[in-house]
Amino acid sequence: MISGVENIWNVFQRSKYGLRSVRFASSRRRVTVKPADSRKTFLIDSYKDLMDKNPVVLFAHHNNLIKQENAHFRALVKDLGGRMTVIRNDLFQVYLRNAHLPDPCAPVRRKLQNRAHPLSRLFQGPTAAISFPETNPAQVGKLLKQLEKSSDKLFIVGAKVESEAMDLAKLNQFKLLPTKPELQSQLLGLLHILSGAGLVRTLEAGSQALFLTLSSHHDHMSEGKETTE
Amino acid sequence: MITKYFTKVVVRFNPLGKEAKTARLFLSSIPPTQRLSGLSLKNELLNGASTASPLVKVTFKDKTELELNPTGITFQEVGNFFDRHSRKLRLKETIEA
Repeated sequence: MISGVENIWNVFQRSKYGLRSVRFASSRRRVTVKPADSRKTFLIDSYKDLMDKNPVVLFAHHNNLIKQENAHFRALVKDLGGRMTVIRNDLFQVYLRNAHLPDPCAPVRRKLQNRAHPLSRLFQGPTAAISFPETNPAQVGKLLKQLEKSSDKLFIVGAKVESEAMDLAKLNQFKLLPTKPELQSQLLGLLHILSGAGLVRTLEAGSQALFLTLSSHHDHMSEGKETTE
Repeated sequence: MITKYFTKVVVRFNPLGKEAKTARLFLSSIPPTQRLSGLSLKNELLNGASTASPLVKVTFKDKTELELNPTGITFQEVGNFFDRHSRKLRLKETIEA
């Protein structure tokens, strides 16, 4: 650690321009297609954040919402624990093309891009993303039911659920599922019923066998000691 | 596009299909004030399994119905198609007024 600091200090002293010429590995300049502090870069980063942090993202078409309608839908989504974001289609498509790369804003060769992303066809026309931080099919079901009444203003056209792209038919199946913790507890219950204690015994068997072998070995050793004494 | 003489609009499309762009732009080109003052706007979503073909259907104030398949044509072309009848109605309105 000390040698590293000394090294940097030496570089600093030797350089003509002082600290400006010292570039730390951690502070390497980010290379982006658009300027790093531009709105386009910011939006692509925000879309990455939106898609990475929210397991459920629904994409909706919105028809010229007036102020009250906009507020109404945003409140509706907020009550269900989600968030509505109006999307810039071209920038979202850029993000989708580069989603598998470490930095979606970095310049990249066309061959390395994913131009056939299953979601990319959804971004033609006014689109909003409704994101939920938890996978809860009941929430999605409630939202779909509430939006049915006002389908001339806002309707869902597709979705991303845990890295899987879904159309409306799939989404209608998804909303009927129980929540994730419920499913896990169901699975656990099922395993208990089907195997009884058998499964638990099987899981324990390995460590138990090892313990028995070692203890028998220990007994053997101690017996040997006793006989020599 | 002249939307003033529309009374009913039905749009049927697959959001993942090629017609989606035209259909969605058509839907969003209808002003919200008109939607609030009596124009009925209906949309139906198709999926890969459905057999019905995509459709844009407009009923005008004189009860004429015109329909069009939005696959493979641009929003501009759809607008021109419906404008032909709208202009007739506008001319009629100006002569009668």
